[in-house]
Amino acid sequence: MVQERQILYEHLDVPNINTFDVFRQHEGYTRFEKAIAEYQPEEIAQMVWDAGLKGRGGAGFSTGEKWSFVPRDIEPRYLCCNADESEPGTFSNRYVLEKNPHLLIEGILICCYAMGIETTYVYIRGEFTLGKKMLDAAIKEAYEQSYLGENVRDTGQTINIYTHPGAGAYICGEETGLIESLEGKRGQPRNKPPFPAVQGVFMKPTVVQNVETLCNLPFIVGNGVEWYTQMGPTYADTRKDPPEPDRNTGTKLYCISGDVNEPGVYELELGLTCTELIEVAGGLRGEEVKAVIPGGSSAPILTHYELDTRLDFTSLTLAKSMLGSGGIIVMNETRNIVDCLLNIMKFYAHESCGQCTPCRWGTPWVRDIVQRIADGEGRQTTITRPKFGITESGRWGDTGETEEIYEDLDLLENVANNIANVDTMTWNTICVFGIAVSWPAVSYMRKFRPEFEAAIREGKLVTLPIAEATVPPEENYAYQQRFIPKEFADLE
Amino acid sequence: MSNEIIQIETPFQFNEENKREFDELIGRYPVKEAAMLPTLHLAQRQEGYISPAVMKYVAELLELSVMKVKDVVTFYPMFFEEPVGKYVIRVCHTLPCALRDCKVVLDHLKAKLGTDIASETNLAKGTTDDGKFTLMKVECLASCDVAPVIMVNDDLYKNLTPEKVDDILEQLPN
Repeated sequence: MVQERQILYEHLDVPNINTFDVFRQHEGYTRFEKAIAEYQPEEIAQMVWDAGLKGRGGAGFSTGEKWSFVPRDIEPRYLCCNADESEPGTFSNRYVLEKNPHLLIEGILICCYAMGIETTYVYIRGEFTLGKKMLDAAIKEAYEQSYLGENVRDTGQTINIYTHPGAGAYICGEETGLIESLEGKRGQPRNKPPFPAVQGVFMKPTVVQNVETLCNLPFIVGNGVEWYTQMGPTYADTRKDPPEPDRNTGTKLYCISGDVNEPGVYELELGLTCTELIEVAGGLRGEEVKAVIPGGSSAPILTHYELDTRLDFTSLTLAKSMLGSGGIIVMNETRNIVDCLLNIMKFYAHESCGQCTPCRWGTPWVRDIVQRIADGEGRQTTITRPKFGITESGRWGDTGETEEIYEDLDLLENVANNIANVDTMTWNTICVFGIAVSWPAVSYMRKFRPEFEAAIREGKLVTLPIAEATVPPEENYAYQQRFIPKEFADLE
Repeated sequence: MSNEIIQIETPFQFNEENKREFDELIGRYPVKEAAMLPTLHLAQRQEGYISPAVMKYVAELLELSVMKVKDVVTFYPMFFEEPVGKYVIRVCHTLPCALRDCKVVLDHLKAKLGTDIASETNLAKGTTDDGKFTLMKVECLASCDVAPVIMVNDDLYKNLTPEKVDDILEQLPN
């Protein structure tokens, strides 16, 4: 049984932890004070790099590396805290904002000190009215206690935090979309490069970090790099010679929802398996696990054959999926995968920002195909493809044999792969929204093809038993290509 | 488009409190345009929706063209271009809520309020005749652990059943 490891969420349920005094009694702001008393800014940045902290927002990019791209000679620099939590299945930031906003402020302070940043914008999604209210109140207290404002704790540095409400657009969770939205425009992502670290908000160097990433900083500073790197697996990156350590350190706020008995946020060390996580969340509601979405709705789905995959950045990437924001959605045997895909595609068709043509037109097209299949009008025999080969007369030509195809399934894969190709990992769009559309579309269809075929054949949604609905491991592209990384310590 | 072309019968203006809040807001950003979203939120709270008069006023405040403001208003689903009911009921219908039967809640609300679901281009369709409620579907409200959820104006209601929905609607003041 995996033990819950409470670090970020340790004091979450303490009454009135959202007030300065109570937070202060629970080691609040001591880590920031330690940072300014004992370390130079560059040392903090180096600590974050050494700790192997990976961004918790979705991409899983090394935070220390990101900071190293920020030119320190251009003023002003900005920090944008991404609290636009909109990925279906993710809800951990909401609890931090509503219950323990001072922890986020402390994380922001450490980041600002390390990077010499004066102004921070916290971009909160518009629906988080309570979270914004709590954070605003906490910021006000921090100003009163001179943890914010001019000359913070006699360091001579000015640090200001402003909250900025979003207005319900999913794409503003993408870092450049967020920046555009912050500048008062439509939240349409920018081309990269230049990366935000060089030219971000107001065309100045900008660090964009997720709430959870920033909340990790006080603990790295407070307890040291060594303590932090003990948590979670360190894999060996065998592409390099000699192999280099690939760190998946720290804890993750796993948000688990769907068919489990106790859905919620569980803070656990990175690297436990899907099966273990479902057990932690009170077990499955239902008989058997049919599928698991491991990282928010954009992540490729896992079949019941793949439940031994460890839930960390490296393992899931090598299993052709992603940890993303850590939103795990579990589905039991009663769920129809076509129906689930339809729901997700409606979401993406609604949220496409409309900037790039493949996404603007392709996403509703994919939705319409899935809708057609779900309505029992999926196309099967309308086209029969002539089979070319050596004919009876000994010549190359149409052999007269015909092959029946599930036209809509081919079309679905074709359209999705032309928004973003899941096999080559290239996208025809400016931002990664494209891959977030085609990943679920293609993976659901390939991994649960019998269920899609049945829906077309029978003319209605058919929920097959799990063994029949799932393609066997030998035909599962992801299962065939997956690679289970070795832990660094196990290398000989 | 020049600002003068739009015919506005009753001009819009911030009340004292919002004016003060706006003055505080504008100092946070190096360019005025960046205050767009918070300003529109303030205006919508006062007026109920973003009317052409509001757009013109916001454009003047931020020294932009009205077109630029409209450009932003049409992009974000939280800004309404038509009047809405006193209570806006947002029903989450994304996958985690769908797995927990949000459809039952939605159908119950539809039957109870006797209205259809508003679409982004036709809010009147989802508004009750007395103008008290507007019913709309929204994407993930980031509360999947307590699904199904709805938001009534700024408040979130969790773990809903049709009975709980009845209680919530009854407790709303007129």
